[in-house]
Amino acid sequence: NPIVLDLAYNFIDFPSLENRM
Amino acid sequence: PIEDLFTSLNRHIERSEFEQAVKVADQVLSTNPSDEDAMRCKVVALIKADNIDDALSTIQSSQKFTFDFNYLKAYCLYRQNRLDEALEALKIQENNPATMLLKSQILYRSGEMDACVEFYQKLQKSKIDSLEINFVAGLISAGRASE
Ligand SMILES: [K+]
Repeated sequence: NPIVLDLAYNFIDFPSLENRM
Repeated sequence: PIEDLFTSLNRHIERSEFEQAVKVADQVLSTNPSDEDAMRCKVVALIKADNIDDALSTIQSSQKFTFDFNYLKAYCLYRQNRLDEALEALKIQENNPATMLLKSQILYRSGEMDACVEFYQKLQKSKIDSLEINFVAGLISAGRASE
């Protein structure tokens, strides 16, 4: 089977915590 | 104070210490269950710690937030191979690049290659790294290698 990457994973990110610290 | 907890949370995220990040996010949530940043950090940290089951149950047990957890929910369902439910969760989502990418991956796993390839064609203008790898996999699996 051809190789498939989980590219959707790369769109999962933490929120910015800049103004919470 | 909560600022110290977020400083600690941020440090764990920067060091990719995702299990510790979950614990600190839980500390914030224990005093303020409606803290959206802490909830988002918890869910994302669980996913990045590869704890998909807990990520999904956290999303499902959480109260309503302004942030839309549907993409993360659909991603968790995809990882659990609950493909119909994953597509269903994405139905009401706007077709942004992330949503289309996840849909195309779900369709690939479902064996719906033509629909999968259609999304990759639409995504080509979005300049997503390594997109062509999945695009080619879809074309080959659809029996359209010549394209
Ligand atoms: K794919």
